Amino acid sequence: MPGETHNGMQCNEFEALLFDALDQKLGAADQERFRAHARVCGKCGPMFAELEAGQHWLKSLKEVEPPANLVNDILAATSGIPSYRLADAGSRTQASLGERIREWADSFLAPVWSTVRQPRFAMSFGMAFFSLSVALSVAGVKPGDLSKVDFRPSAMRRTYYTTSARVVKYYENIRLVYEIESRVQEFKKVTRPAQQREEKERERNHKNNTSGEPEPRQERNYSRDENQPVLACTPEQAPAVSVTTIRRLV
Amino acid sequence: MEDAQIVNSLVRRCIAGDAVAWEEIVQRYNRRIYNICYRFAGSADDAQDLTQEVFIKMYRTLSSYDVERGAFMTWVTTMTRNLLVDHFRKTKQDRVTDSIDAPPSEHEDAMPLSDQIRDKGPAPDIRVQSRETGEAVQEALQKLSPELREAVILRDLQDMDYRDIAAVLKVPEGTVKSRINRGRAELARLLQRIYRQVM
Repeated sequence: MPGETHNGMQCNEFEALLFDALDQKLGAADQERFRAHARVCGKCGPMFAELEAGQHWLKSLKEVEPPANLVNDILAATSGIPSYRLADAGSRTQASLGERIREWADSFLAPVWSTVRQPRFAMSFGMAFFSLSVALSVAGVKPGDLSKVDFRPSAMRRTYYTTSARVVKYYENIRLVYEIESRVQEFKKVTRPAQQREEKERERNHKNNTSGEPEPRQERNYSRDENQPVLACTPEQAPAVSVTTIRRLV
Repeated sequence: MEDAQIVNSLVRRCIAGDAVAWEEIVQRYNRRIYNICYRFAGSADDAQDLTQEVFIKMYRTLSSYDVERGAFMTWVTTMTRNLLVDHFRKTKQDRVTDSIDAPPSEHEDAMPLSDQIRDKGPAPDIRVQSRETGEAVQEALQKLSPELREAVILRDLQDMDYRDIAAVLKVPEGTVKSRINRGRAELARLLQRIYRQVM
């Protein structure tokens, strides 16, 4: 019965302490009371014995060894990369310091590298590289020249001053050339003969004066009325006859 | 660094695509998962296939693991248990021990399941002589219903605490304890019968 008391412990309390007893978490005093109840209670005693036996049987099972190829099979089925442990098992013991440093660096770089190797990123990086190489070749930059560049601070400062001096020198040279050219033209103007100048001037005037040339002929006189007759006249003589209108008398 | 931190770091590296970290995870957990599968399925071949399935699923869903929601071990065990349940449903094994002493059918002359188990296979003395004790326990374990079996495997073989088992099985802690008790009792009864017959 649940409320039955044996050795100062009721069956309800026994059941409550059952798991702690099986897990051996009971204190010495509780353990003693628990065992005493189990010895005398006809219900709790066999139940506890059965549970303890079952637990004992289960605990007697030893861990089984997985098949030797299990890890490799899993890796082949997932990442597709064979075990580095097995591959490096032989060489690991004789690895030099450089190899160990490289291995250490790989542990950081491997995630980045594996991301970069993904097809969606690989295509983007390919396009970016292609664009960059085209831009560099258009700009006249040769990759071979880059290896000769000295990146020391003193060398970079010297390169800066040399380049700026070259630009200033180029600008001064261009200015001198233009100045000489303009002086030569002025000198030519001054030394040109007067007659030649007159001829030139006349020619220029002739081009500007267009009064001697006939007026461009108009195909139609839009200011004339329909009933108004067209008068014949010579350009030299003004018309002697005034305009006569012939009317038909009805 | 604590074990949980190491595992979380491995998981992060693995999500970032680090193959070395993934292998570390496989090396750490393959033994445990294989043992759960072996004890539940009762066959080395099935256990190997199921362990591979667990890792394939883990590899695909690793990014869904949330550190805040529980330990990685619990997450892995839950995944294993779900696959084992699926496997069990596929293979359609019969549940035996929930009513091991009751007649399995409505027929009046039907024998109790414990008698059927006893009658199957070679004689008990030959069996005990030829097999290790562990094999006998493993065989008895297979007779338990999957609910009881998974509970005792996680508690007595994997040493998981009741709260974690409750999280894995998605049942209250009281139910977990009840199943463990019933599982242990059924197993003890089965084995006692076998050994009593031998004696």
